[in-house]
Amino acid sequence: MELNKEIKDLLSNNILINCSDEEVIDFLTWRIKKDWQEYDKERMDKAVVIKNKIDALPISFPNGTVGKEYHASFSLPDDLVEDYWLEDVEAIGLKDEVNPTDNSCNLSGVPTEAGSYTFRLCYKYKGWVRGMANLERKFTIAINPDPKTLWKNIPTPTDIEYYQPDSECGYVKVESKNGQPQKDIVVASQRGRSHAHEGNPRDDHYRVEYLEQSGWYIMAVADGAGSAKYSRKGSSLACDAAVDHCKQFFADEKKVKDFEEYITVYNAEGNDEYKKLLGDYIYQLVGNAAFKGYKAIETEAKSHENVPMKLYSTTLLLSVCKKFDFGWFVGSFWVGDGAMCIYDKERQYIKLLGTPDGGEFAGQTRFLTMPEIFTDQASFYGRLRFSIEQDFTALMLMTDGVSDPMFETDANLNKVEMWDALYENISKEVELSDDNAESQYQLLKWLDFWSQGNHDDRTIAILY
Amino acid sequence: MSRRLPVYILIDTSGSMKGEPIESVKVGIEAMLSSLRSEPYALESVNISIITYDREVKVLMPLTPLEDFQLPTIVVPESGPTHTGAALELLCKQVDSEVRLSTPERKGDWMPLLFLLTDGKPSDIQVYNQVISEVKKRHFATIVACAAGMHAKTDPLKQLTDQVFTLDTMDSASFRKFFQWVSNTIEIGNKSIGATNDIELPPPPDEVNVIV
Repeated sequence: MELNKEIKDLLSNNILINCSDEEVIDFLTWRIKKDWQEYDKERMDKAVVIKNKIDALPISFPNGTVGKEYHASFSLPDDLVEDYWLEDVEAIGLKDEVNPTDNSCNLSGVPTEAGSYTFRLCYKYKGWVRGMANLERKFTIAINPDPKTLWKNIPTPTDIEYYQPDSECGYVKVESKNGQPQKDIVVASQRGRSHAHEGNPRDDHYRVEYLEQSGWYIMAVADGAGSAKYSRKGSSLACDAAVDHCKQFFADEKKVKDFEEYITVYNAEGNDEYKKLLGDYIYQLVGNAAFKGYKAIETEAKSHENVPMKLYSTTLLLSVCKKFDFGWFVGSFWVGDGAMCIYDKERQYIKLLGTPDGGEFAGQTRFLTMPEIFTDQASFYGRLRFSIEQDFTALMLMTDGVSDPMFETDANLNKVEMWDALYENISKEVELSDDNAESQYQLLKWLDFWSQGNHDDRTIAILY
Repeated sequence: MSRRLPVYILIDTSGSMKGEPIESVKVGIEAMLSSLRSEPYALESVNISIITYDREVKVLMPLTPLEDFQLPTIVVPESGPTHTGAALELLCKQVDSEVRLSTPERKGDWMPLLFLLTDGKPSDIQVYNQVISEVKKRHFATIVACAAGMHAKTDPLKQLTDQVFTLDTMDSASFRKFFQWVSNTIEIGNKSIGATNDIELPPPPDEVNVIV
């Protein structure tokens, strides 16, 4: 290496007398090395200070969901950072855009695949010059799958004990009388997604009847508890035993004649004596029907290796009604959650036929299979209702698989606008016109509606 | 707003957890999160909170929906006591403020689940013994306690719950299996709706020993 003459002269004239070229080079190397070390340490320290500041910034990126627009934005202080960008975000399906005017960055796009992703925020800190390493901070976010795409629909094995089909629907057509259209019943029951996902059976059940001879309608829906092993049998036994009992009652012509006479007199005079008499009939009719349901389950449990009755836990909503010249007589029994209500759109009138049983936590309710339902007389009477009603748009019975997503809270069950919304929602897809037996399939299809977190079995019966 | 299933996870972060054990726990939790995220019901309802305890007890993560959950950094001190009792006190406070009960105007949560992990024994044994009755008042659908490693004591845990399990080793394979099982239990919790309050736990993997 040929040392520049001027430097040589300069050095020779001042400090380094009679030094050789090699000495000067050695000196310079020594000097530069020292300076470089000092310089390097200083810039590293500076970088560490900035890195610590950047690492401490409250920047976070939320998780995303497949197919859902993702958006996050942040900015870095321009007194610390000259230039920055995100690396590895393309793998998530996202794009970063830095706006140089305010040093802010938008991260957006639509993630395509679920998983856990790590990406890097890379930056050139203040004072960075070409050749220096970039600094970075790592972030990890999760891209959630769209829950809708995760639900499986596994058919229930047909060889299980107490098999029942995953869905069912029905229609009770009542022919017009004297040119007057008569109310019909449409009913549908659909296994919930949470059961379908596991290939577990539907636990809901229903039974609806119209008794041609006496003109009475009987409707029952029941929700077998999801956690009880044989609840599907519990719900079907409850419906069947209760409806059979009512049919038996209405088959006794004399009894029915007396009962209807009391109803007529009660309607005309409304006095307490007849109210009491009618109360006794309601007890015999729907009260005993519920008790028969209980007994039927008790017998079944005994004959089934004497298993505990709670394995058959089920709710029961039961209603009987008939149209008279002066209006409708409606009697009912209700244990458990769900909803049972008379709804009239024109009059903006609703009447709940009881109150749902709820607990402090979700899913806590009371079941027909609990002995205290029948031993506590006061509360038992509270479950029985009867009244005389003007003509109505619909009488609806449903399990909580429908009422939970539609009403959310018990307080909402008392709001007529919530019932308006439900009826409108149904009417959009289900043609509730007289004698339209097709509507049962439309109703079954409607039951498949999407509601996040609400995937229980769904059953609804509508008298309209 | 759908109903939430609150899940509380209490993690021992005393000095003995430093290094491989805590790293393995993190790996296990991440695996659990990703496994739960592939279950639609869990994705829609599970909410998780993590409380860590050593000398200090702290809410590492308040009750957060699974979809939004990101595991924060877990710091383990060099040494020090294990304040399990204080952690349970904090837990009760958190449950009281976070878990929603049903009212006519509001939908209640599902009954919460509790998982407690320790590699030692409570240093604040008096506090621990006193708080147990308070924990029981919080109506957990299930409480699972796990004693990890050779030095973990199961006797104090048995007072808290009859679901006590042990892990022989504190490596990532064991914790991964444990948290996989936790995730299965959470899924069952999700499905156990209604009649019974007791959750039937899924069979634990080989790495997890049942204490009778």
